[in-house]
Amino acid sequence: MTQTPTVQSRPARAAVFGAGAFAHAWPFLALLVIGLTLPLFAGGYWGVIATRACVYWVLVAGLNLMVGFAGQLAIGWVALLTLGAYTTSVLAAGNVMPALHPYLALAIAGAIGAVFGVIVGLPALRLRTFYFAITTLGFATIVTQIALAWQSVTGGGVGVPGPIFPAPFDSQWGFYYFCFGLAAICTWMTMNIAASRFGRALTAIRDAEVAAEASGIAKPALLVTVFLFSGAVAAISGGLFASLQSYITPDAFTIDLSVLFFIAILIGGRGSILGPVLGTILLTVLPEFAAPLVAWSTFLYAVLLLVIVLAMPGGIAELIDFKNRRPLQSNRAIVPRPDLLPRLLGTNRDPGTLTLEQVALSFGGVHAVDGLDLTIRPGEVHGLIGPNGSGKTTTLNVISGYYAPQSGTAKLDGVVLPALVRHTRARHRIARTFQTPRLVGEASVLDNVMIGGTIDGRGTFAESLLSLPRHRRDEAMLHETAMLALATVGLESLAAVRADRLQHSELRFVEIARGLMLRPAFLLLDEPAAGLSAEEITRLGAFLVAIAKTGTGVLLVEHHADLIFDICHHVTVLNLGKMLAAGTPAEIRSHPEVVNAYLGG
Amino acid sequence: MPISAADPLLRIAGLSTGYGKIGVLRGIDLTVGASEVVALLGPNGAGKTTLLRAVSGLLPWSGGVHFDGRDLSGSGPRETAKAGLAHVIEGHRVFTQQSVLDNLRLAAYDLRRGERAARVEEAFGFFPEIAAKRHERAVALSGGQQQMLAVAQGLVRRPRLLMLDEPSAGLSPVLVDRVFVVVRRLRETGTAVLLVEQLIEKALALADRVYALARGAIVLEARTDEVDLPRRLEHAYFAIADR
Amino acid sequence: MLESIVSSGVAIGCIYALIGVTYNVMFSASRVFSFTAGTLGMIGGVLGSLFILRTGMPIALGFVLALAGGALLGVVTEIVAVRPVLKSLDQHLYVLSTLALALIVQQYTAIEWSTEPQPFPRIFDIVRGGFDQQYWLPMLACAAVIVGLELLYRHTLVGHAFLAIAEDNYAARALGLPERGLRMASFALAGVIGALAGFAGGQLLLAFFANAPLLTFYGFVPVALGGMGNNRGAVVAGLILGLFQQSANFLVGGIFASVAVFAAFIVVLLAFPEGLAGAPVQRRV
Repeated sequence: MTQTPTVQSRPARAAVFGAGAFAHAWPFLALLVIGLTLPLFAGGYWGVIATRACVYWVLVAGLNLMVGFAGQLAIGWVALLTLGAYTTSVLAAGNVMPALHPYLALAIAGAIGAVFGVIVGLPALRLRTFYFAITTLGFATIVTQIALAWQSVTGGGVGVPGPIFPAPFDSQWGFYYFCFGLAAICTWMTMNIAASRFGRALTAIRDAEVAAEASGIAKPALLVTVFLFSGAVAAISGGLFASLQSYITPDAFTIDLSVLFFIAILIGGRGSILGPVLGTILLTVLPEFAAPLVAWSTFLYAVLLLVIVLAMPGGIAELIDFKNRRPLQSNRAIVPRPDLLPRLLGTNRDPGTLTLEQVALSFGGVHAVDGLDLTIRPGEVHGLIGPNGSGKTTTLNVISGYYAPQSGTAKLDGVVLPALVRHTRARHRIARTFQTPRLVGEASVLDNVMIGGTIDGRGTFAESLLSLPRHRRDEAMLHETAMLALATVGLESLAAVRADRLQHSELRFVEIARGLMLRPAFLLLDEPAAGLSAEEITRLGAFLVAIAKTGTGVLLVEHHADLIFDICHHVTVLNLGKMLAAGTPAEIRSHPEVVNAYLGG
Repeated sequence: MPISAADPLLRIAGLSTGYGKIGVLRGIDLTVGASEVVALLGPNGAGKTTLLRAVSGLLPWSGGVHFDGRDLSGSGPRETAKAGLAHVIEGHRVFTQQSVLDNLRLAAYDLRRGERAARVEEAFGFFPEIAAKRHERAVALSGGQQQMLAVAQGLVRRPRLLMLDEPSAGLSPVLVDRVFVVVRRLRETGTAVLLVEQLIEKALALADRVYALARGAIVLEARTDEVDLPRRLEHAYFAIADR
Repeated sequence: MLESIVSSGVAIGCIYALIGVTYNVMFSASRVFSFTAGTLGMIGGVLGSLFILRTGMPIALGFVLALAGGALLGVVTEIVAVRPVLKSLDQHLYVLSTLALALIVQQYTAIEWSTEPQPFPRIFDIVRGGFDQQYWLPMLACAAVIVGLELLYRHTLVGHAFLAIAEDNYAARALGLPERGLRMASFALAGVIGALAGFAGGQLLLAFFANAPLLTFYGFVPVALGGMGNNRGAVVAGLILGLFQQSANFLVGGIFASVAVFAAFIVVLLAFPEGLAGAPVQRRV
């Protein structure tokens, strides 16, 4: 990093790695201290409650990644708790084979939990939200019924004793510290994921799936990884649960418990770690205070869930997000810095040409695109215009892989771009924006831009889990590049602000910054001028010209005739899916058929 | 027919609207007098459809909209329809799984049964082609016939103002003329029409006055008998004049 | 034996099918699936037992009040759990709000009514015969609902309006149809259908709060397999499910029957995510 006084990245970096880090971490440190010193001021009764909260949190930490970050509503996740509890207990008790050491039993339960986590979670990749939620409920019921029926192994309705961990964890407080330690580790690991490209990718999948794909995020692989992790920790939590209960029967694993886990995450707030921690503690402790109402605890949880959903969908996390309550400066102007582009995008790039050859695509009898040839050269701004329904956006969607042409091909440098494998476009350095900005509203502007560089990270999920050096290098690199990208669009002062607080025009530029993270060979823009003021359109135009100058090929799908005629080197006019005319702006503007197509008649 | 400027049938003043955060229209002023045909032209993305949606209450808006002396603030499509403002939306969207007759009966949902039947027949009177197909499901109709059905839906309530959103889209020239003949007839029966169109020549031939909307604002207002209108329109569309 | 499997399979299948129709009616009106569908079934049985057995009302009155209770719960679902979230940007909040409402009702029932299954009255005072009323009542209810819905949708303007809202909500609004009132009416109708399923099936399922999660799941299978909003598909799929479940019960016994049903469901659903008759999802970018 060179000294560039105008680029604001230094203070922001300090925010992450310095003073700001403490502001972020002190609640966890406080919890850590309270947890470690608990035996000093709490009696045995509260020790059990605290242990239970830790055991639940181990499961909820993993489930949080699935539900809070990835948005997969696995309501029946208690199935994994049941599985882990019985596996650990049965292996430690020696019902099936010679008794295993409790640690080994716990570890095996974790492994089995990982596998079943994938099995239970896998339908999420195929099914819509409600369907998936129902299937997880079905799993939960099935697992409990199997536990009831498989008497030879599980003891049926009579149950089995839970495992007892060896000294020093066999006493009440000893076991508490064991669970607390595991809970602390899970907190640390999920915090690491939350602040990694994987965590951001998960929120992108949840809130802006098409944009996630455009940024190269492969949903199946990432979700499976999360299922593995969530399943493993849920099963381990089950083993701890069995030990805490001393004795488990199938009716200990009710849907109520599953709902409790779920509600803890929602009360806590999506995309947060601290929120669900506090939520879990709250829900574990609540029945103790509402002593006469203990029978009503699930009822109260459900009421709480309803209230949260209707009144405070952001949960505790939103409530304590004081940073984002500070008012923003009102008359903000977007002033891009195209001079920074060469540093961001590099120079001497020759990606070849992007071509469409005789592409045709129909929707139910309507020829959306009808035998189109198109050539986009690097270093040029190529405009694509036409009346409504002429096939402009469809063409862009074919290039970016969202639609498969029924005939014809899209090629980059002579190599065919396979259709429908959307997330591979990023690897080819083809970036795009969308008609309506697709961003993660609850995440910061910087996080949103960093999503654009996800594929440039080298570290694996495991390395991020444990905050190993390669993960930290990735984070530093992505952070720096994203701040630079934000600086090029002139929005670096808003880096820490929640994205949904920004104006529409600013969101457009944030989307462009995200696209620039790919150092794209080709940048495809879908009506970026919509909703922008005249001044902003002029700045956008100059910015796009500067991008093209660095060697990127820019495809601009637009309605705004003035923008097109101002900045394009080359314009193609579509009408009814066919090319009507192609040439320089001057040629197009005086082309009689073009004027007719626009003005009708 | 000269209308006193003080009380046009539809008066829009300083209207602004958009979709969520995206502002589309700013400070629109527009009037339609009783029995007038007003054309609203403009390039794609200018906001013509958005304007109609705001007036009929499908979108929230700020500013002033008065219809027949009544303030339309807070009115949704149901209230504006009852007040005599019919909106035929873009894309000839009719209920394809239901019969032509039922499509019209639905348009008259709030009326009493006897009145409903009478108005439906009236609407059929404008379009004998679809009257002949009254028991067929709308999916069996061609695009042009569906458009006629959609316009007929707008007419069932005997509106004082009929707003048509690109009725010519996707239609053959013959069918377009068919629809425009009906519009001419409407004017003679005292119904005002606000017509959003892409086909400039035909719209100008039909309308009394014309507005051009570009980039979210009115850029031109004129009577259709003024000279040099086509050239002025082209300039308004492409904003060439100011360079 | 075969007769027993067939009659119990068809009977329970009809109950599942009716819950599926309940889901569908709510879905058609709002594009949202509600967890309260299974709870409605449970309420029909519980209210029937409450009014007729516990309070001693005449059967016909108890029946009407049970259905009214269902309608009320349906309307409450719309107002409390569906309408507020339709406006929100997050599409999936309805899963949580309807789940919360369903749980509230279930838990209240468990606490105030009973955590054990309670008896449900015999509706007709006939000797318990071979083809007993506990089997043909659900079938009668299912047939009545299907015929009734057909008449409603084909021959009344309100029914046409429901179909219009389901097919093209935007066009229906623009035409001036009273969208909100129609949606509430749809949810009330769904409530009646769900309660009817529970009432007609009361002698089979008894008045038990835990019928709610059971019906929530098994009532959804017909929807998933038959196609969203497709009532005929729901009936066919429901009958198949009922027969399959009862056959499995007979062949391999209770627990493994459940596993078999569930496994089969998952496999079929993964192969046909839009249902056996459904069309692929068209994604818009």
